[in-house]
Amino acid sequence: MFGKGLLKGLSITIKRFLGPKIAEGYPEEKPTLPPRTRSSIVLEPGTCIACGLCVNVCPNQVINLTSEKDENNKKVLKTYYMNFGRCLLCGLCTEACPTSALKLSQEFENAVYQREELLWDMIARSKRSNKSSGKVG
Amino acid sequence: MDALNNVFVNIALAIRGLFVDSHSFGADLTINVIVFIMLFLIMVVAALFLSLVERKFAHWVSQRPGPNRLGPHGWFQFIADAVKMLGKEDITPANADKFLFKIAPMILVGITLMAFGVLPFGKGMVAIDLDLGIFYFLAVSSVTTVALLMAGWASNNKYSLLGGLRAVAQMISYEIPLLFSLLGVVMITQTFNLSSIIEAQKTVPFIFLQPLAFVVYLISGIAETNRAPFDQVQGEQEIVAGPFTEYSGLRWGLFMLAEYGNVVATSAIAVSMFLGGWNGPGFLPGWLWFILKMWLIIFTMMWIRWTFVRMRIDHLMHFAWKILLPLSLVNIFLTGIGIYIYQLLILRIGG
Amino acid sequence: MTIEGTQEYSINMGPQHPSTHGVFRMVVHLDGEVVTGVEPKIGYLHRGLEKMAESRTYTQFIPYTDRLDYLAGPHNSLGYVQAVEKMMGIELPERAEYLRVIFAELGRIASHLVMIASGSLDICGWTPWSYCFRDRERILDLFEMTAGNRMTPNYFRIGGVSHDVPDEFMPALKSFLDDMPEMLEEYQGIFFGNEIVQSRMKSVGILPKELAENLLITGANLRASGVQYDVRKAEPYSIYDRFDFNVPVLYGCDTYDRHFIRLLEIQESSKILRQALKDIPDGPVMAKVPKVIKPPAGKVYHRVENPKGEMGWYIVSNGTTKPARVRIRTGAFVNVQMLSAIIAGWKIQDLVTIFASMDLVLGEVDK
Repeated sequence: MFGKGLLKGLSITIKRFLGPKIAEGYPEEKPTLPPRTRSSIVLEPGTCIACGLCVNVCPNQVINLTSEKDENNKKVLKTYYMNFGRCLLCGLCTEACPTSALKLSQEFENAVYQREELLWDMIARSKRSNKSSGKVG
Repeated sequence: MDALNNVFVNIALAIRGLFVDSHSFGADLTINVIVFIMLFLIMVVAALFLSLVERKFAHWVSQRPGPNRLGPHGWFQFIADAVKMLGKEDITPANADKFLFKIAPMILVGITLMAFGVLPFGKGMVAIDLDLGIFYFLAVSSVTTVALLMAGWASNNKYSLLGGLRAVAQMISYEIPLLFSLLGVVMITQTFNLSSIIEAQKTVPFIFLQPLAFVVYLISGIAETNRAPFDQVQGEQEIVAGPFTEYSGLRWGLFMLAEYGNVVATSAIAVSMFLGGWNGPGFLPGWLWFILKMWLIIFTMMWIRWTFVRMRIDHLMHFAWKILLPLSLVNIFLTGIGIYIYQLLILRIGG
Repeated sequence: MTIEGTQEYSINMGPQHPSTHGVFRMVVHLDGEVVTGVEPKIGYLHRGLEKMAESRTYTQFIPYTDRLDYLAGPHNSLGYVQAVEKMMGIELPERAEYLRVIFAELGRIASHLVMIASGSLDICGWTPWSYCFRDRERILDLFEMTAGNRMTPNYFRIGGVSHDVPDEFMPALKSFLDDMPEMLEEYQGIFFGNEIVQSRMKSVGILPKELAENLLITGANLRASGVQYDVRKAEPYSIYDRFDFNVPVLYGCDTYDRHFIRLLEIQESSKILRQALKDIPDGPVMAKVPKVIKPPAGKVYHRVENPKGEMGWYIVSNGTTKPARVRIRTGAFVNVQMLSAIIAGWKIQDLVTIFASMDLVLGEVDK
C-alpha cells in the first residue's frame, strides 16, 4: 500500500526517540584516547641525542633545534622549538627518533588564544609539569 | 474540580466586581486589556518553549541529549535564546524597501495574535466569543501569505524572492483543502461558533465522525505553517532560509514567534474541531485537557517533521490540487449523505 | 523559453552555501524555478599539493595525500605507495597487503556513509544524517586505535604499513561487521524506502550511458548508469583478485540509483572485509626497503578504484629522493563536468539533489 515506507520511517524514529542516548557529555566526560593517538608531542630532553633526524623527516619544517658540544665532544641539546601551528600531526618525527625522546601524547586540548603561543619551547614544557603532556595542572 | 475548572472565569468575575457597574465600559476595557496581555504572553512563552521542545525532540531522535546546560536538563535554554535574540545587531540590507522590510514581521505577529483571539481554552474562556469563530480564524490567517511575500520582495535578494513566491504558491494551494475539511464539521453542527462546536462534542468527538477530514486538516495545517515535509518556503538547503534570509536580531525573532504561534493556533483549532476541545473525564480541569490534547497534536507534527524529507514544489502542488482537494470534496459529499440519512432515521423513529 | 514579459536571472550559489559540499561555487541561470544552465567555478580549496610534492621526499608526501579525499582516510595513499613500489619493484609481505585492503575498504565504507548522509541532508532529512555519522564514528575509532588520527591516518608507508594493529582491533572490526546488516536495514527503512525520497529522486537527473562514457565519468556514478567497470576487477591491483565480491550495477541512471548503489557497495565491501579478517596471516608488516628511498629514474602510472571514482597517479622520478613530478588524476575532478551536462530542464531543488548524488569532495577537485 502507498505509505508503507512512511510508516516504517515513523516507527524507526519513535523507537530511537524512546531509546538510550549515546552522545558523550563533553566537557564533563572526557574521552580516553587510545595510546597511539597523535594529538600532541612531548620531548624528554634527557634522552635526546640531538641527532637531527626529526628535523629532516618533518614534511613542514616544524622543528628546529640547536645543540652544542660538551666536554666529551658529544652533542648535547641546547634548544628545541616546535612551530606547532604548522604541524600536520603526521607522526613521522616520533617514528624517526632513535632513542624515543620524542613521544606522542594524548592531550587534545591545545587551543590557544594567540598565534605566538603556538611556538612551543619543548624543553620548557617538559619542565613545567610532571605530566608527560607538558600541560600545567 | 468545578472550582478548578472555573478558576479563570472566577478571577475575571472578581475583577469585574471591582468596578461599580460590572458591565460598564471601564470594566470591559480592563478585562480586554488583561486578556490581550495574557494572550501575548501565552504566544511568546509558547513560541520560545516550543522551539526548545523542537530541539530536544530532534536531538532525542538522533540519540543525543539536546541542550542540557541551562537549568535542569537544559529546560531553561529558551531564556538564553530570548536574551540572545534581543541583543543581536539589526541589519537592514542597503537597497531593501525599508517600509515593507520593517512591517512584514509585525504583520505576521499581529495576524497570529488576532487569530488567537477566538481560541476556546476552556469553558467560558474565550477572548472574543464570536459567532463567526472559525470563519474569522481562517479569513485572518490567510493574510500571512501577503506578509511572507512582503518579506521576500523587500529583502532585495534573489533567494528571498524565490522563497516569497514559493510561499504564495504553497499557502494559497493549501488554504482550500484546509477550508473544505473544516466544512464537514460545520455542516454537522450548523454553527461557526467554536464554543458551540465544542459543546456539540460532549458525547463523541468529531474525529470518529470525520476521520478523513481530520487527516486532510492535519496535512494542510502542516503545510500552512511551513513545516517539513512542506517547508520549501524556508528550504534551508536550497534558498538559505527564503524570505527570512536577510532578517537578524529581533525581527527574525518575531518571525520565529509567528511561526510557532501559528503551530499553536493550528493545533488548537484541530483540538477544538475534532478532538473535543476541553471535554474530558472529570479528574482534570477542562483547560488542562485542552493543553494536553494540543500537546498531542504538536508532538505528532514534530514527529512528522523529523522523519520525513522535503517534497519538491511541483509534487507539493500536485498533492494539494489533485489529491487533497478531491478527498475533501468527497468528505463533504459523504457528510451530506450522512446527515440526510441521520435526519431520515430520526424522523422515521421519532414519527 | 521565457514567457512574454519575464526574463532569465542568475543566482550565485557561492562558496558559502548550506548545501554545496565544501567550497564550491556555481552560477545558476534560472527561468522561474527551472534551471537553464550551470557554470561551476572551482579552485577555492586549491592548496598546490602537486607542487608541494616536488619539494618533499616520497615518504614525507604521504601525509599530504590523506588530504585529497579526506572522507576516505587511508585510501588515497594506497595508489601513491603502490605507484612508488611499482617503480622500485618492492614486494610486500602478505600481512601488509591484507592490512592495506582492510583499511582501504574501511575508508570506502566511511566515504559512502558520508555520501548517503549528505544526500539525505540536502533534502532536509536530518535524521538519516545523524544515523550515518553515528556509524561512521566506529570506523574512525578503528583508524584512531591503529594509526593515530581519525581522518588523516598517515598509515601506509612505502613497503608496507607503519604499525601492526593492536589487539583490540580485530574484535572491534568483527563487532562492526556483525552490526552492519542492522544498520543497513535502518537506512533502508528511514531513507531509501521512504516514498517522499523516492518521489524526489527517482527519474531525476538522468545520466545516459553514452554520455557517461563520453565524459569519462568513473566510479559509482558510472556503474549506476549501467556500465560494468571497476578497476579492482578490470586491472586488479594489490590482492583484490583473491577476494570473491561482486561489482553492483544498476540501470536506472537516476539520482536514486546513484545513492542506492553506494549502499550496495557498502555491502560488497563488508564481504571483502569478512574474507580478509578470516584469511589474514601473521608476519611482518613492512618489507625490507632501503632507509633512503630513491627510485630509479623513470615514469609510472598506477590507478586504483577510489570511492569517488578512479584515481590515477603519474609519478616521474629523476633518481633523487624527491619526485620530479606527481600528477594526480582524481575522479571527482572529472565528475564535475557531469553537472552542467545533465542539469538543463530540472528545478533548483533537483539541482541540489543531483549535485549531492555526484559525490564530490572538494579536496579531490581542487587538490
